[in-house]
Amino acid sequence: MTSEGKTRREFLKDACTACMGVSFLGISLSQLTSCSPFPVYKTDLSKKIVTVPLSSFGESTMVIVRDMQVIYDVLLVKKSDQVYDALYMRCTHQENPLTATKTGLFCSAHGSRFDLDGNVLKEPALAPLKKFKTELQENQVLIDLNS
Amino acid sequence: MRFLIAFLFVFCSFSAFSQVLTKEDSLTAGLIRSNNTTVISGYGQLKTQYDFRLKTANTELTRNVLFVGHRFKNNIYFFSEMELENAKVVGGKASGEISMEQLFLKFNINRSTYLQAGLFIPRIGIINENHLPTTYNGNDRPFVETFVIPATWREIGVGLYGSINTVPGLNYSVAVLSGLNSANFTNDTGIVNGRMEGASSASSSIALTNAWLLYAGDWRIQASWYYGGSAGPKRQADSLHLQSGPFGIPVALAEANAQYHGRNGFSLRALVTGVSIQEAGKINFAYGKNTPQNMYGAYIELGYNFYKLINPTSAKNLTLFYRQEAMDLGLTRAKNYGEDNDVNRRFYSVAGITFQPTGGVIVKVDYVMRNTGDRNPALLATQFPRALPYYSSNGFFNVGIGYSF
Repeated sequence: MTSEGKTRREFLKDACTACMGVSFLGISLSQLTSCSPFPVYKTDLSKKIVTVPLSSFGESTMVIVRDMQVIYDVLLVKKSDQVYDALYMRCTHQENPLTATKTGLFCSAHGSRFDLDGNVLKEPALAPLKKFKTELQENQVLIDLNS
Repeated sequence: MRFLIAFLFVFCSFSAFSQVLTKEDSLTAGLIRSNNTTVISGYGQLKTQYDFRLKTANTELTRNVLFVGHRFKNNIYFFSEMELENAKVVGGKASGEISMEQLFLKFNINRSTYLQAGLFIPRIGIINENHLPTTYNGNDRPFVETFVIPATWREIGVGLYGSINTVPGLNYSVAVLSGLNSANFTNDTGIVNGRMEGASSASSSIALTNAWLLYAGDWRIQASWYYGGSAGPKRQADSLHLQSGPFGIPVALAEANAQYHGRNGFSLRALVTGVSIQEAGKINFAYGKNTPQNMYGAYIELGYNFYKLINPTSAKNLTLFYRQEAMDLGLTRAKNYGEDNDVNRRFYSVAGITFQPTGGVIVKVDYVMRNTGDRNPALLATQFPRALPYYSSNGFFNVGIGYSF
């Protein structure tokens, strides 16, 4: 066994240990993402029109509309009893998924921030968030994903 | 009249066609199901600097970066940034530099977790990840994030990024990267020249880094650490009696920073960092260098956007700012193998105005006051008056423009 062979094994061992550690940490942390700070309404975002019942808001003024098959959510914001905004939670800078808070949306990748109207508060994003048309019908909000 | 109608038709057609080609439309068209989208964008900056001691101006195209991205699938992306510094590269002459700033594949695992593999910039400090000229004040990037934390510090590796929804606004990143090479460390630039930056270079060093980032209201708070080897190739390390292996001659770095970006127009940035190279003495013995054992750096910046006085909802930016920086690239030296050099104890005071007439375009005017300790004459091969004098206090006036699209 040469010293070089031993070092190669050691290198591979250390590199693999580090990679496994990263993977384990990632899997562990991913488990913590099952909860959300806002109500989540699961639906099929491949439809042209998505219907969200008002009851899904609960006590919150925001609902995350989610399709488990799609990487980006839609944030439905209650502006008033009659007005609802639907924002596509995809950063307009480099397409990273956005995180919603009570004061706005932010991108953890490069620091872009948006207000709850979708306007850019902080670059590098330049364009506002994509906004879908909404319509209130009885006790439901209709989101037009083709708008 | 026919000519006018024809002109309007052509104009409208061109406008419609142009819209299809814009980045934003091309990316958002088709909403969720579209694939195979390629995007070209970029950023850059130019500046003119006047040196009050030398009474000389220097004008340069600091950098131009071309970004090319491609979406293969809805969860697999390609990102690349190619940078040209100082306008041109001439063979055989001291001139600019062409380099890949980033080149990686990104795999979205789920809506809150993604993986990057390739040449990328890990989440260390503020400027490293967010280095577009339109996102910071002053023509120069903060000096602490240039000398203590290398600016745009990229290495080849694998990184995992995600957010923890149980704690709103909390994000993490963890990465395995190629390490440094201590053979290239220099006394006045810390670990900057020890980076691999994706260039083919024999090494057996690897590094780990981890960051935690919290968004809370108008605050962004982050802490990160880095630990990696710098022994270089095994055969070389062994022959120089340096401890070889993935984490041989370790370099440890830790930093914490906070940013406030208020809707009231006020902004704040603060960062503190330290670097430790405990076996610096061995590096100095092996390579005849003067590598420090410990370094530190810190800065705080305050700003106010005067457009908020006129219109609180305005997206325009006219910010008056002041930044104070302090660093010591030779805080402690290695016993027996190292010389004090007070020139590495530096203080920068930066004041200026940042003007953004629209998003993506920036005009910067600033004044930089640099104060350092004196040079150690024992470290100078050529003494004054045969060498140029060194001014421990000097001022620089900068005017520049920047863009990002």
